[in-house]
Parts: sequence; C-alpha cells; structure tokens
Amino acid sequence: MPKIQVVRSAGVLARLAWISMLESKIRLPGSGQTSPDAVYFGSRLALLIGFGGLLLIMALAGIDALRVLRQFRNNDEEIRRLYLFQNHVLNEIRSDVYVSGTYVRDYLLEPDPERAEAYRTKLEDVQRHMESSLETYGHQATPPEFQHDSALRTELVNYWGILAPIFQWNPAERRRSGYAFLRDEVFPRRQSMLAIADRIATINEQQLTAGNDQAVSLLLRFQTRLLVTLVAALVLGFGMASFSTRKILKLEHQARLRYEEVADARGQLKDLSARLVQAQETERRALSRELHDEVGQSLSAVLMELRNLSAGLKGQSEEQSRNHVETIKGLVENTVRVVRNMALLLRPSMLDDLGLIPALKWQARESAKHTSMDVTVATELDSDDLPDEYKTCIYRVVQEALHNCARHSRATAVRIRVEQRPERLMLIIQDDGQGFDVRHLKGLGLLGVQERVARLGGTCNIHSKPGHGTILTVELPFTRERRSIDTRETDSHPVG
Amino acid sequence: MRQIRILLADDHTVMRRGLRLLIESQPEFSVVAEASDGRQAVQQAEATMPDVAVMDIAMPNLSGIEAAQRIAAAQPNTAIVILSMHSDEGYVLRALKVGAKGYLLKDSAEGDLIEAIKAVHQGKTFFSPEISKMLVEDYVREIRTRGAEDTYDLLTSREREILQLLAERKSNKEIAAALNISVYTIETHRRNLHEKLNLHSLAELILYAVRKGIIS
Repeated sequence: MPKIQVVRSAGVLARLAWISMLESKIRLPGSGQTSPDAVYFGSRLALLIGFGGLLLIMALAGIDALRVLRQFRNNDEEIRRLYLFQNHVLNEIRSDVYVSGTYVRDYLLEPDPERAEAYRTKLEDVQRHMESSLETYGHQATPPEFQHDSALRTELVNYWGILAPIFQWNPAERRRSGYAFLRDEVFPRRQSMLAIADRIATINEQQLTAGNDQAVSLLLRFQTRLLVTLVAALVLGFGMASFSTRKILKLEHQARLRYEEVADARGQLKDLSARLVQAQETERRALSRELHDEVGQSLSAVLMELRNLSAGLKGQSEEQSRNHVETIKGLVENTVRVVRNMALLLRPSMLDDLGLIPALKWQARESAKHTSMDVTVATELDSDDLPDEYKTCIYRVVQEALHNCARHSRATAVRIRVEQRPERLMLIIQDDGQGFDVRHLKGLGLLGVQERVARLGGTCNIHSKPGHGTILTVELPFTRERRSIDTRETDSHPVG
Repeated sequence: MRQIRILLADDHTVMRRGLRLLIESQPEFSVVAEASDGRQAVQQAEATMPDVAVMDIAMPNLSGIEAAQRIAAAQPNTAIVILSMHSDEGYVLRALKVGAKGYLLKDSAEGDLIEAIKAVHQGKTFFSPEISKMLVEDYVREIRTRGAEDTYDLLTSREREILQLLAERKSNKEIAAALNISVYTIETHRRNLHEKLNLHSLAELILYAVRKGIIS
C-alpha cells in the first residue's frame, strides 16, 4: 500500500507557499556578515574623510598662495617706494649742493651789493630746503643709513659753517679772496658731501637688492610649501582613488554574486516547482488508487452482497442470510479501517482532538511500530494548548524528520523534545544514525520544514556529521497569553 | 427496579438512531436526552441529570472530550462513556483524564455498549476488549523491544492490591476499609506507586492496570 506517499501529500500546499516565500527571500541582503549599516557607515566615513581632506588641502594651498602673492606684492611695492623716495631726496640734496655752489660763486663774484644780497637770500632758501629734505630723509632712513645720514648732517653743518663768514665780506674782499675760497673750501666740502650722498645711494641700491632677495626667498619658501602640499594631495588622492576603486570593485563583485544567487535560486525554484507538480500528481494518483481499489471495491462488494441478500431473502435459509450479513460486516469493517487510516495519514485527528503532545506520541508509536527505531517524546510545556499553526508546524516537522530518519539515517533511537522557553518554543530532534554532510543538504522535505518554520518567524538548524547522528533544532518565537485556568492537564478525577 | 437514565450525544443522526435502538432494546435502560454537539450535550446533561452519558468524541461546537470534562466536573454522579473511532492510547488516556469511566470503539459498540453502560453505572471502568487487548500488546512489545524492566516487578504485593483497587475506582476510604488499614497508609502507598511506575495521574494508573491485565 502506498501509504508513505499519502503522508507526503500533506506537505504539498506548504511547499507551494514556500515558492512564493523564496522569491521574497532572494531580495533580502545577505545575512551572516557584519551589519550592513555598520559597513555603509564605515565606508561613508572613510570617503568623507578622504575627499574632505583632499579638498581641504587644496583650499589651504590656494589660500596660502594668495596670501604669499599679496605679501610679495606689498613688499615689492614698499621697497620700490622707499627706494624711489630716498633717491628723490638724495637727488634733491645733491642738486641743492650744486645749486648752493653756484649761488656761492655768483654771490662771491657779484660786484653789485643788491644782487649779491639776492643770491644770499637764495642761498638761505636752498639751505632751508636742504635741511627740510634731510629731515624727511632722516625719518625714512633705515639703520644702515643712520651713520651716513649723521655724517651728511655734520658735513652740511660744516659746509654752512664755512659759508657763514663770507656773508660779512664786503665786495672788495669777495672779489679778492672769493675764488680761492671757492676752490679751497667750498668745492672740497661739496665733493665730500656728494660722496656721502653717493654712498647713501649705493646703500639704497643695496637695500633694493636685499628687498628683492627677501621677496625671492619668500617665493622660494612658498614654492617648497606648494611642493609639499602637492605631494600630500597627490598621495592622498592616490589613496582615495585606490580605496574607491577597491570599494567599487568589491560592490561590483557582490552585485555579481547576488545576481548569481538570484539566478541560481530561480533555477532551483523552477526545478522545485517541477518536482512539486510531479509529487502532487503522484500523491493524487496514490490517493485515487487507494480510494478506487480499496474503498470503491469494498463498497461495490457490499452493494453486491446486499443485493444478493435482498434478492434471496425469501428463498434463503436463515443460515445463508447470516453468512451474507457477516460478509457485509467484514467488508464494511475493512473499509472503515482503510478510510480511517487514510484520514489519519493526511492529518491525525488527535492533533485537533487531543493536542500536540498526544499527537506526537502517537506519531512516535506509529514510527516505532513500522520501523526498527525507538522513538521517544519528552515535553516541557506549560500547557499543550498551542495555537493551531504552531501545533501543525511542530507536528509536520517531527513527521518529516521521522520520515527522513526512517529512510536515510539507519538510526536505532530518535529523541524528540519540545520545550517551552521564555518567549519561544524549542523543538529538538536527535537521532543516533549515520548522519550526513549538511552542505549537501537537499530535498523537498527539509525545505518544507524550513519553510514552515520560517513562516512562524522561527529558525531551523541542522547539525550533522557523517557517523555522528543528526540534531535538528527548531526555534519558534512564541509568547503564551496567560490563562488563569488550564484544565487540560489536570486530573479532574474525584478519587473514589 | 429503577431505569438507568441515559444521555446520547453524537453528531450523526443515523448513528444516534442506531445507538438508541440498541439501548432501548434493554428494558432497564431509557434514553432521556439526545444531543448533536458538545454544547448541547452539556446543556442536556444539566437539564436531565442522566445516570450515564454516552458521548462521541468528534462533535462540532465542543468536542466530546471537552463536554465530558464539563459534565464530569459539574455532575460527578453522571458516569460518562466515550464512543470513539480511535483505539490510540492518547485518546483513552485523555478520556480517562477528563473523567470518563468507559471508552468504547464505535466499530464494536453494538456488542459492548450494554455491558459498558451497566459497568460504569456501577462505578466500574470499562474499555472495549480491543482497547484492553491493544494496550496489553503495546506494553508487551515495548518491554520486549526496549528491553525495559517490567516496573510491575518493583511493586510489593500490598501496592499491587492497592493499584488494582485504585484502578477499579475505589476511593481511599473504600480501600482503607477493604484492606483494614488507615487512609494515611494508603496515601503513602499511592505515592510509592506513582514514583515506582513513573505515572502521575489516576488516569495513567488505570491505563497501566489495563496494560498489565490487572483490570480489563
């Protein structure tokens, strides 16, 4: 009798539902790695720091360059301005010296006292002008020039000091000793004054050169800094580029893996649905054959016997009639048994009538009867009053596990435990069979188990090694709503 | 002689009619109420206070087991006989636990029902002979396949006596009177029985007694 196949038909609907679930599962991100949020956060932080740093370095370099350029321009301008100003003042002093020489000569050589007086006034103007120029120059002078500046002052004071007596001279004196005075006193003084002015001009030029040198060194320092910045930016940029590239390649790789997984899952799905359709058809055929061959034939026989009985009621002896009735009874009893067995195999009524534990114990006894396995059920439940979907799930998982044990494991003992833990139900099925390599796990039955468990939000684990038996652990999240009275497990017998 | 008043609960009219015919063939029996589901059965039992309730397990609204539990709790004087398609011990144990005194297979009801009603009305336990036979066979097979030790051998003769009397649903007082020992001693023996046999309810003790063939 194809009873095993009848058992398997019960899982068909669940397996069909599993296919639709698998579709949604595929879209979930891969589990078993670090939390994806943490990974995203980490790489985003790295990208932010990398690119942010790069941009910051470039911005700082730009600001630095602008600052250096402005400083350079200011310095340059200042140096140039100072140089031009000092040059100008020196030139004025110089020209004043020449002009004063000319006036002195004109004064000394002028016979007309009035005109001579006019020259003298002009000379005084020149003197004042020189003194004010020198004053201005003194304010602007830089330390290296102080010495020459004071030398020039002394020289000027001497110069004017020498000139002072000639203004008391009368025209005769001027004519007599004017030329000699010019030659012996004025010109040498003038020469030495001009020499000082030249020295100052030289220093001035040196300062211009020094200023230029300073600007150049500023530029050089800037160049070095720019070089360092560029190298840093380059290194960081290279780092960023390689990091991003690696990241993108990794993502690409992951995307490809995902795609392959999806393609693979789709392939499996196709395969599975084909197998499901086939399995369903096989089971229907088995059910149909059983109904037709067993139930149908028996009922036909009953009908035939009843016709015989009714046709021969008058002519037959009581003995013959009783024989017919006995035959009918036997046939009907057999039919009742067949129908009951079929119904039990499709869904055991004790699951609904008595609850999970009696149903599991019945299943254990049935398995023990039909195989050589010793099957025990141990439970630690507060109450057997579980919601129907939990009862069915656990029962079907146990059924499938026992089915697999009987078919593949060569186990001699199977232990089934159902436990109530805080906020979850545990189902542990352990056999002492030959075990198997979990990596080569396949088959509709176990997929069905996983699917049933997943639909209740639970997890399903299989631990097995060749030669070491198998442990199937199922964990279902479950919180029992507390009931004040639970009479199911109490012994309500009055004693006596 | 007073008639035994009977409540009949089964959701199949044909079955109910058959059972009624069978029961009323006995002059000392009378069917005082019929119910087609568990809830009705509880109401009828309350209304008519029958001596015996014959109940199917698979009924709509309220299962026969639940209904039996309520009737047994509310009316201890109503003896309950469960009618069932199932010969599995899970059903028998549950029936005993909720307070049924008899357990009959529907297949063989016509042969045993009369006897069962009489037995439970007298306070005895009654199982279909097929059930007793199956339980005994299961027990023997279990001992043979598992090589388990026969716990019955662990019991003293006094404990065996008490086990039998308990299985026959005698109260502690009745047992004390029969054996001429104190109720307190009986309690001690009961505890030992539970411990030695690893059974934790009277229902399990009764099933055990049936398995061992101490009662049938």
